[in-house]
Amino acid sequence: MRIGFTLAVLILAPAAPATAAEPVTFEQHVRPILKAYCLDCHGAGEKMSGGLDLRLKRFAVAGGKNGAAVVPKEPGKSPLVERMKAGEMPPGEKKVPAEQIAIIEKWIAAGAPALRDEPATLPPGLGITAEERAYWFYQPLQRPAVPVVSNPNAPIRNPIDAFVLAKLREKGLGFNPEADRATLIRRATLDLTGLPPTAKEIEQFLADRAPDAYEKLIDRLLASPAYGERWGRHWLDAAGYADSDGDGATDTVRPFAWRYRDYVVRALNADKPLDRFVVEQLAGDELVPRPWSNLGPEQIELLAATGFLRTAPDGTPSGATDAEQVVTDTLKIVTSSLLGTSVGCAQCHDHRYDPVSQRDYYQLRAVFEPALDPGKWRRPGERLVSLYTDAERAKAAAVDAEAGKMQTEFNQKQSAAVRVAFEKELEKFPTEEREKLKAAFDTAEAKRTDAQKKLVAANPKLNVTPGVLYQYNQKAADELKTMQGKIQAKRAERPVEQFVAVMAEVPGRVPTTKLFHRGDARQPKGPDLPPADLTIAAPDSKRFEIAPPASGTATTGRRLAWARHLTGGTHPLFGRVMANRIWLNHFGRGIVDTPGEFGKLGQLPTHLELLDWLATELPKQGWSLKKFHKLVMTSTTYRQSSKRDAAKDAADRANTLYGRFPVRRLEAEAVRDRMLVAAGRLDLTPFGPPVAVVEDAAGQVGTPDDKPRRSLYLQVRRSKPVAFLTAFDAPAADLNCERRNATTTAPQALMLLNSDFVRKQAGYFAARVRTEATADFLRAWAADAAPDSVELTAATAWRLAYLRPPTADELRLATSFLATQSAALRGKAKDAELAALTNLCQQLLASNEFLYVD
Amino acid sequence: MSFHPALLGRRAFLSNTAAGVGLFALADLLRRDGLLAAEGPTKPGENPPASLAPKKPHFAPKAKAMISLFMHGGPSHVDLFDPKPELTKHNGKEYRGDVHYSFVNRASKTLFGSPWKFAKHGRCGTEVSELLPHTAGIVDDIAVVRSMHTGFNGHEVSIRYFHGGIAGVTGRPTMGSWIVYGLGSEAQNLPAYMVLSDPGGPPVDAAHNWNCGFLPPLYQGTVLRPQEPRILNLDPPPDAAGDVQRQNLDLLAALNRRHLADRPGEADLEARIASYELAAAMQTAAKEALDVSREPERVRNMYGLDRPETREYGTRCLIARRLVERGVRFVQLFLGSQPWDNHTGIRTGLPAICKRTDQPAAALVKDLKQRGLLDSTIVHWGGEIGRLPVCEGELNANAGRDHNGQGFTCWLAGGGIRAGTTYGATDEVGHKAAENVVTPNDFQATLLHLLGLDHDKLVYHHGGRAQRLTDGRPARVVKEILA
Repeated sequence: MRIGFTLAVLILAPAAPATAAEPVTFEQHVRPILKAYCLDCHGAGEKMSGGLDLRLKRFAVAGGKNGAAVVPKEPGKSPLVERMKAGEMPPGEKKVPAEQIAIIEKWIAAGAPALRDEPATLPPGLGITAEERAYWFYQPLQRPAVPVVSNPNAPIRNPIDAFVLAKLREKGLGFNPEADRATLIRRATLDLTGLPPTAKEIEQFLADRAPDAYEKLIDRLLASPAYGERWGRHWLDAAGYADSDGDGATDTVRPFAWRYRDYVVRALNADKPLDRFVVEQLAGDELVPRPWSNLGPEQIELLAATGFLRTAPDGTPSGATDAEQVVTDTLKIVTSSLLGTSVGCAQCHDHRYDPVSQRDYYQLRAVFEPALDPGKWRRPGERLVSLYTDAERAKAAAVDAEAGKMQTEFNQKQSAAVRVAFEKELEKFPTEEREKLKAAFDTAEAKRTDAQKKLVAANPKLNVTPGVLYQYNQKAADELKTMQGKIQAKRAERPVEQFVAVMAEVPGRVPTTKLFHRGDARQPKGPDLPPADLTIAAPDSKRFEIAPPASGTATTGRRLAWARHLTGGTHPLFGRVMANRIWLNHFGRGIVDTPGEFGKLGQLPTHLELLDWLATELPKQGWSLKKFHKLVMTSTTYRQSSKRDAAKDAADRANTLYGRFPVRRLEAEAVRDRMLVAAGRLDLTPFGPPVAVVEDAAGQVGTPDDKPRRSLYLQVRRSKPVAFLTAFDAPAADLNCERRNATTTAPQALMLLNSDFVRKQAGYFAARVRTEATADFLRAWAADAAPDSVELTAATAWRLAYLRPPTADELRLATSFLATQSAALRGKAKDAELAALTNLCQQLLASNEFLYVD
Repeated sequence: MSFHPALLGRRAFLSNTAAGVGLFALADLLRRDGLLAAEGPTKPGENPPASLAPKKPHFAPKAKAMISLFMHGGPSHVDLFDPKPELTKHNGKEYRGDVHYSFVNRASKTLFGSPWKFAKHGRCGTEVSELLPHTAGIVDDIAVVRSMHTGFNGHEVSIRYFHGGIAGVTGRPTMGSWIVYGLGSEAQNLPAYMVLSDPGGPPVDAAHNWNCGFLPPLYQGTVLRPQEPRILNLDPPPDAAGDVQRQNLDLLAALNRRHLADRPGEADLEARIASYELAAAMQTAAKEALDVSREPERVRNMYGLDRPETREYGTRCLIARRLVERGVRFVQLFLGSQPWDNHTGIRTGLPAICKRTDQPAAALVKDLKQRGLLDSTIVHWGGEIGRLPVCEGELNANAGRDHNGQGFTCWLAGGGIRAGTTYGATDEVGHKAAENVVTPNDFQATLLHLLGLDHDKLVYHHGGRAQRLTDGRPARVVKEILA
């Protein structure tokens, strides 16, 4: 495929909303339009096109070479409006929409007012205006006061409830009653572990009358190893984890990516503080002293953590020369997951909607430049660190030497045996021919004369080679075979060399970062840019800039410095983004429901103060995620029932106020894992290389032999997404996934009704139901009871799938189904009852109660 | 209310299978409750509930459906639809004007006259190259637009412009999603928006081409696989087919109904119940719709199913007709590996792709016409760009042409398009659109117009503003090509 030039044109224009009553001002309404359409040429650069600078009202009035652009009170005489209307400005495809031109006209007609006195001059660049600075997301993190709610309709268990209830009250609403216990344990267990609770766990919880039974439940779940697998997957979504490079059709496998996945799971299970967790992922390599040999398990973990910066697709393994794309994508992942800000636009020009300048973008890039280093790119295979210890390396060398020696000995013995066999065979020829034959066979093939060639061809018997030696001398051949076996055994003693993929700098090499004109790496311009955080992420003139390393330091330490700054507890972007992400995964929607985009192009928070309170609570709790989960999950907000009621639906159908707990569909992995649990097959083996995925005859990707590992451990091959998981919205093609969809589609239904995978699990499930029901029956029978075996079967199926007994009505439904269908299948299926039971089981797996959680 | 083929199909399904009663009774219940046919006024700034129920267009539509034959890579308009005598005359000479190149390293200014002859065809006299003899036979039914212009030479940039409304930007809803969002579906048992993918691999930008962007996922295109089985898991396994399947589906519906009864008003649960109905209905309907063996031999041969070079594309064109006939709103055919991207070897590459697609595309128009469906179905043929009048690299036997987004050709037919027209013009050598320039936004506005939708009024609120396919950019309904 040949591709011309790519061009990033980001023209997503949120018009400055101006209501009729509100006076139109330059700062609030006009400048955002000019920023979106004009300031690239008339303000952002050092040279102003036509000498016209539109950054200030006074500049617009003063005008450029062609005179004033704005004539106050005279929109009809203002060239700014005239040229926009005529479609002459801006040049190119993108034009100012009519309604925005109307705003400018209205402003000019009103005398072109400005809110504040304007300075006489401005330093170059767009800078950040007071209006931009005032946006909620950029305000310093402060802990808001917890609202006092009088006469709450339910217990205020912690400040979350106070914030939520205060908002509900504004609409005359309150909390739903608490969900029943069976619902709570299902909800909490699936939420924290991605797996259903066992019958025994349910029984124990229902029987536990202690006042803190629920708190104990949460503690138990947080201690489960499945917690890290579940919440690790949430983090891997944001990180864009994959087990392949995504280099076109080849899609090279990343053989060691799983170490990063395992790092994430282990870190969460160990409740590694979030600040530490992020620092390690951004700069774990900087925490491991060089040289990197004889690495211990903790050091390996630190290096593996940098896999976070190696998740972006990388076309270079199969020959793409453009490493720039990897840099761009890595920055996108880092900023959307940690800063809730898409900086991509600023690669080519100042961000048109958020106060992120092009210079800001490249200064942030400078943080990562030394490690990514597109100027001296290292492909994935060149970013591996061997895990050999010195002892292992020595052992490997010793094995190689010994095996080499054995091989030489073998070779000598083999040639000798071949020669002996040849000579012996030669003796069978008349003496006078022997010399000639010997000469012919001893001459190298290429040098043989025609006569010799004929001779060789005519006497195949004399063509003794190692491969046919056994036909001449079985004993010698057997001895050689034994020797070969020993050599192989020796080689097997060589310790297997393992690797970890690392993002790290090459000591001593510090590439410079420059701004690229229009984002084109072939056009660097201006001075070398020092590494720094985004300007807007700190108060005016307090921007975080990274100092050059002390002399004698081998690496720049830029990522480490930035990571520590980010996690210092006061970063306004990072704290909010993290608190929001955890909330999102508990409730199915974020307080800001565009978790990767908190800026002007994203959505506003539904509960701004709650978000800020949570963002300050995180560091206050020592960045413990487990404490944070417990805080959220023990709130009344979380413990509500999911029942809808008409009044609440009328006021808040989308439940943005949390007047009930949302009914949620399980994520793809949880659906698959839960099916395997019902089938009694889920393989809980943690960690290690992923199960390689395979394509079946119809082209559906799954695991070989239906291997039942937890879904987290299936290979994430970009070109071969697992069909079942993709159908249920597991991330596939995109860079990273900030928020999963929960779609409802006909292909999902077909998958649940007809796919081999689901049919198979239904079969296992049915066999299990039969075994357990039979055992129950025999037990009851031994105790002189006479249970109905069909009812017992149905009850067992319900318990395993739905984690509850069937109602009388459901029991009737199931028994009648089993009777009808067994009768229909008699004579057709080998075991009609089992076939009918399998179908019953499959419908349970496909039903809404199985797929959704209250 | 007229009898729509899809409704007839539905009735047949109902009478043929006892399962239908249980399944569709539930659907009707939901519909009566206003859950599936949720149409009604919404507050300003609020989106209507996601629904595939048929919706009223903004004004009386000319067309009900659209089939787009997207020609990836940039068909060479100067060799196909846009004859340039000046170019032929000056073949081999230096071009004096400016040229917008993509591959500057192979830039040349040597004019490359078309190696193929043009002739006037039909009553309208539209000129078509000898490479497209079948298309030449339908010129009286089509409008050729010779002044397409994206302004960008790159494939992705221009493809995104055509599908999503903004040059270079991915992740926005595609035109098909907007159309289905605006009009809903008339196919009760087939997806409303279907994509027919190519055995040669995914198109440039892959799934972004049928993405619903910020629109609800209901409006996303459903991709049919390029070979059988075109829909995975469509068939129940043999041991769970027939009566057994009916019993299974009834049980599932009963389970879901009980579950829903305890959770009234939970739209997701209702939607999933509906999705099972659609899936069950699709087992019959999709199989039937995709089975081209049901077509008489005469029709199959008309699409070229009898010959290896046209069989694959012909089959897809025929499937497209069968889908539209059954109420599918928007069907798009894609090509993998950019077969029209003739940078080199245009003398062999271009005839090959013409051979593969010419007869099937023309057959589609003829077939729709003879069935009386052309009046209500728009057919679009065109790529994202065209090609330069100068040669790329040396002008030799292996010569080719570089990208050209400044001026190129597409054609439209049916659904209220003025038949037998040629509209717009490029400059004297065919590089830049010179008269009556049509941008992808104009193109979109025009197609929406034919479908009864005003591009400016078809909005969805997202990211704090009203979003449109044309994104509030200048977009003109090209009235001159309307009947």
